Amino acid sequence: MDWIGYLSEALPGAGENVLMMAAIVIPVMIVLEVARDLKILDWIAQRMSPLMRFFRLSPQAAFPLLVGIIFGIAYGAGVLIEEARSGRLSWQDIFLINIFLSVCHAVVEDTALFMAVGANGLVILLGRFIAAILITYLISRTAWLQRENLRHGVPGAVKAAGGTGDNRC
Amino acid sequence: MLTVATFSKGFQRGLTTTWNLAKVIVPVYMIVTFLKYTPVMGIVAGFFEPLMHFFGLPGEASLVLVLGKLLNIYAALGAISSLELTGREITIIATMLLLSHSLPVESAVSGRTGVNAMLMTGFRLAISVISGLVLNLVL
Repeated sequence: MDWIGYLSEALPGAGENVLMMAAIVIPVMIVLEVARDLKILDWIAQRMSPLMRFFRLSPQAAFPLLVGIIFGIAYGAGVLIEEARSGRLSWQDIFLINIFLSVCHAVVEDTALFMAVGANGLVILLGRFIAAILITYLISRTAWLQRENLRHGVPGAVKAAGGTGDNRC
Repeated sequence: MLTVATFSKGFQRGLTTTWNLAKVIVPVYMIVTFLKYTPVMGIVAGFFEPLMHFFGLPGEASLVLVLGKLLNIYAALGAISSLELTGREITIIATMLLLSHSLPVESAVSGRTGVNAMLMTGFRLAISVISGLVLNLVL
């Protein structure tokens, strides 16, 4: 075993790697903080209604979805839990956001890190988005989802079924 | 509102993430480089060569995939940089890993949100494999 050869390859290599990651991660995090404080995502979320309809999501689902895509699941889940508690999201919204985010989350950080080790950023970013859009769309159209959503209760449906006379929706 | 706090918060988060990365990347890099100096790498690579061939990847890449699927992306990054892989190979591995990684942990999380964890894991592995096959054909 060539110990000298090993150490002279492994030590500088590992150090170089960490420095490279720092050079990428620190600017990315600063940009993300700026985007958050400028409330750029709120602005985009308000303009995403047509896209939300495509996934059979309510317009309120846009913000948690965007947060998860850009910042990562941990942040997305935080917003998701808040929104779910406030009752503005249906079970279907939460389920579909989960599906989308499981495939496509924290895209800025992940893409930058893999580009640093030599991956094609456009391919990995598009690949994730295409996979997530395709899967979420397909699942949003299944009869199973409609059944489950009814079982978990659609907001408003309870009221309608309660015989308040307001059955027009 | 943008303030100095915005930038220092970002810088701090960057440092924390780098530290978390380093804690994983350094040991993985050291171990994978060590394996390259032993016959183990050759044996593992030879064993997975036929399977990796479908994704246009060399046998060594199986190590990166396993690390990413079982541990996390950071471990996979450490392994990628210690192996000599081409840009095309790295792009394929990156896509396969980004679609599904840290499966034990993330499945447990999705399990808690009420989604069937086994179903979700199987499903993410499937799209990962499909993406590898497709990219090998189109790239």
